[in-house]
Amino acid sequence: MPQIFRRSANTLSKVSIFGLLSLVGGLIVLAIVLARSSYVTRQEIFVEQPLQFSHMHHVTDDGIDCRYCHTSVETSSFAGIPPTKTCMNCHAVLFANASFLEPVRASFRDNKPLHWTRVHDLPDFVYFNHSIHIKKGVGCETCHGRVDQMPLIYQQHSLLMEWCIDCHKNPAPNLRPRSEITTMGYRPAVDQSILGPQLMTEYNVNPPISCSTCHR
Amino acid sequence: MNDATMNDGDTIEALRARLEATRGRQYWRSLESLAETPEFKEFLHREFPQNASEWLDPVGRRSFLKLMGASLALAGVSACTRQPDEQIVPYVRQPEEEVPGKPLFFATAMPMNGAGIGLLVESHEGRPTKIEGNPDHPSSRGATDLFAQASILGLYDPDRSRNITNLGDIRPFSAFATALQDALKVQETSQGAGIRILTETVASPTQRAASSRLASTSTRNMRSTRPT
Repeated sequence: MPQIFRRSANTLSKVSIFGLLSLVGGLIVLAIVLARSSYVTRQEIFVEQPLQFSHMHHVTDDGIDCRYCHTSVETSSFAGIPPTKTCMNCHAVLFANASFLEPVRASFRDNKPLHWTRVHDLPDFVYFNHSIHIKKGVGCETCHGRVDQMPLIYQQHSLLMEWCIDCHKNPAPNLRPRSEITTMGYRPAVDQSILGPQLMTEYNVNPPISCSTCHR
Repeated sequence: MNDATMNDGDTIEALRARLEATRGRQYWRSLESLAETPEFKEFLHREFPQNASEWLDPVGRRSFLKLMGASLALAGVSACTRQPDEQIVPYVRQPEEEVPGKPLFFATAMPMNGAGIGLLVESHEGRPTKIEGNPDHPSSRGATDLFAQASILGLYDPDRSRNITNLGDIRPFSAFATALQDALKVQETSQGAGIRILTETVASPTQRAASSRLASTSTRNMRSTRPT
């Protein structure tokens, strides 16, 4: 009987070994890249909503403070999505006949809630609390970006864990006085390298970075 | 395999003739393989005939282990998908004192051994989640027993009646009211002497008041019966 493997089998085996290794490596790289892509993180992706609510109009044109609608941001883990009643406080009079506000009026009339799609969606194994961040001087803008310039809301940052940890390890550059919490386009009055550490002492900022802080 | 599997056509002469007709490298391990009878092909195909049926057996041990192993190994892959869209459904008119993300505590009482235990029920956006004793209530003073603790499960019991039913069919409350009115009308002549309401021990003053009101408004003679 002749040899079972020909000479070409040597090349074949080498190619397949290295090919397999690079395939596995490539898949790992792909997984890492995919996990950071905006497809998965939803960074800077617009989301279809039941009506085209413009944060830019309500914040920049009307000058409404964030907390008028997101009432529980200072007291609760959840910032709060306003009930239809809050919309109708103004829109019972303003744009009362506008066709694009019909979903709001229908909701109020039929007592059926509006179904918004969540834009900033943390995984279910992450516990995030808005109120403590507000208390420690992290402004809305720091995480949510220039909402006053967003006709449609989108997620400014990746919300990846490394993004959270970056700030928890070094919060000083991201702190501002509590009086400026909802300010959009905030510029520190004094240099941030002086103000940051100062606010850290004043607000007793000591962000925990243990796993159970957020994964509990 | 033996010669019996060979067809009549596959005689030695026929094989020899076929071998002479072939060119190049050809191997065979047995005369049966060379003859390529349908029986032999079938035998090769079902190499382990006694196990071959396991592929078709829906609950075969081997296929079960294989499937479960594969599912277990692939379960981790499900984490590689994108999160599904999540919805936020705010109130139309938010109840007073309701803060989304913060629980509300409601004082209530639960009948137990003919008395009420004062309780505090933790409620998240209208859904009760935990029951503890009410520290301001004289009967519990903040303590609970296991029955009160477990009673939270009763609220989510799938066997708990969600609707008014009549002989298994779901009926609206108006149907119940009409049926009750009709039953009471029949009893009007006897001043309600034939009416019985079957209840468990009623410790609730509200329920007692309701039943006595029913008794006084409809008929005078109605009596409440309870198991002893």
